[in-house]
Amino acid sequence: MKIPLRVTVNGVPREDLVEARTSLLTYLREQCDLTGAKRACEEGECGCCSVLLDGTQVTACLVFAIEAQGRHVTTVEGLSEPQLLNALQQAFAENGASQCGFCIPGMLMSATTLLERNGSPSEAEIRRAISGNLCRCTGYDRIVAAIGAAAAQRRNAKG
Amino acid sequence: MDDFTYHAPATVAEALALRAEGGGAARYLAGGSDLLLAMQRAEPPVARVIDLKGIAALREIRVAADGGVALGAAVTMAAIERHAHLLAHYPALVAAAAAVGGPPIRNRATVGGNVCNASPAADTSPVLLALGARAVIAGGGGERELPLAELWSGPGRLTLLDGELLTAVRLPALPPRTGCGFQRLTRAAMDIALVSAAAVCTLDRGDRITAAACALGAVAPTVLAVAGLGAALAGSRADAGTLARVEHLAAAAARPIDDHRASAAYRREMAGVMARRAMAEACDRARATSGGAA
Repeated sequence: MKIPLRVTVNGVPREDLVEARTSLLTYLREQCDLTGAKRACEEGECGCCSVLLDGTQVTACLVFAIEAQGRHVTTVEGLSEPQLLNALQQAFAENGASQCGFCIPGMLMSATTLLERNGSPSEAEIRRAISGNLCRCTGYDRIVAAIGAAAAQRRNAKG
Repeated sequence: MDDFTYHAPATVAEALALRAEGGGAARYLAGGSDLLLAMQRAEPPVARVIDLKGIAALREIRVAADGGVALGAAVTMAAIERHAHLLAHYPALVAAAAAVGGPPIRNRATVGGNVCNASPAADTSPVLLALGARAVIAGGGGERELPLAELWSGPGRLTLLDGELLTAVRLPALPPRTGCGFQRLTRAAMDIALVSAAAVCTLDRGDRITAAACALGAVAPTVLAVAGLGAALAGSRADAGTLARVEHLAAAAARPIDDHRASAAYRREMAGVMARRAMAEACDRARATSGGAA
């Protein structure tokens, strides 16, 4: 049974028909053509499908699309303008944080969530913030460095 | 044709009616971090989910005048982690909530789901059990309460009657000079506990134990209270000798199994160690309280 879904994705209001059992991840990837959130474990273990639901980070594989009814979803594509990098993404590039890149959308959502509430995270806080994200390249150190660099840059810009 | 349906009731009464109508193929949905996995292999297949997150009362953390707390079943781990009263008075519960999964999971996973999934390794359950929590249950016949220990009958199994719904977990107010502790053994973030232990103790003015409880996770078919621990410790000083008895009693109470995560012998030994450390933490916190309401 298809259900009408009204949801705002990356600032754009949408109306779609979805099957009740469709996950938010499947909806985003297959109906919105937003493939930044990756399909990997589908058990909430790897964090690659992280998106923001009304600003709260969730693993989209464990959320029904219909649960986003009337709400705002932000994917990695919504963090910056097309073809441009925001400061956090730029820090990832400059620090060599992205190896194969598969985990990076999820890492960016975790880092975005962290930096919104903590402008001066310690290394331990950064590691805890990405504890729900697996990097199969094991490139954690550079990811941690990139998040730290982005935080420092943001503080300097404000200072 | 897929006849799977999703329902988002606004009240407990509506949820109960939807569940009764859907029968055994209907499931209550809270955070979904367990249910959406279980749905992939559920037999009979889940044909209806009843999402509890839209029921405002189930998302509330209510602090009573005496300091006791009612946690709505759909309260998330993240909400527990940042709740000032829980941080101040039930820090072991906050630590257990903070040990669940990673941040995005804690934004979804709920206390009701953690309890009702009935995993012996559930992180919040040992703390809730050691604190003497009670389950508030709604059903066709109205509301009833029972001690949390009576809710679990085995791994993944509850004593709830068909269609009944856990609506809240009620934490009793803590007496003065009471502390709680939580310890968890695992390899890394996102791993489930190999062994966990929670402890609660109350001290008198002379630092003698007047009440104590300990509960263990992942060492039996259900989360397990260490029987007789309170009586064994009553009147003792909270010292190394007493903590050694806690270790011995907890290891003796454990009924672990061998599996791919750890051997039974290792789990038994670590159950003792985790219990001792949790009780030490509880005693330290009990001493640190001013003697007012917990």
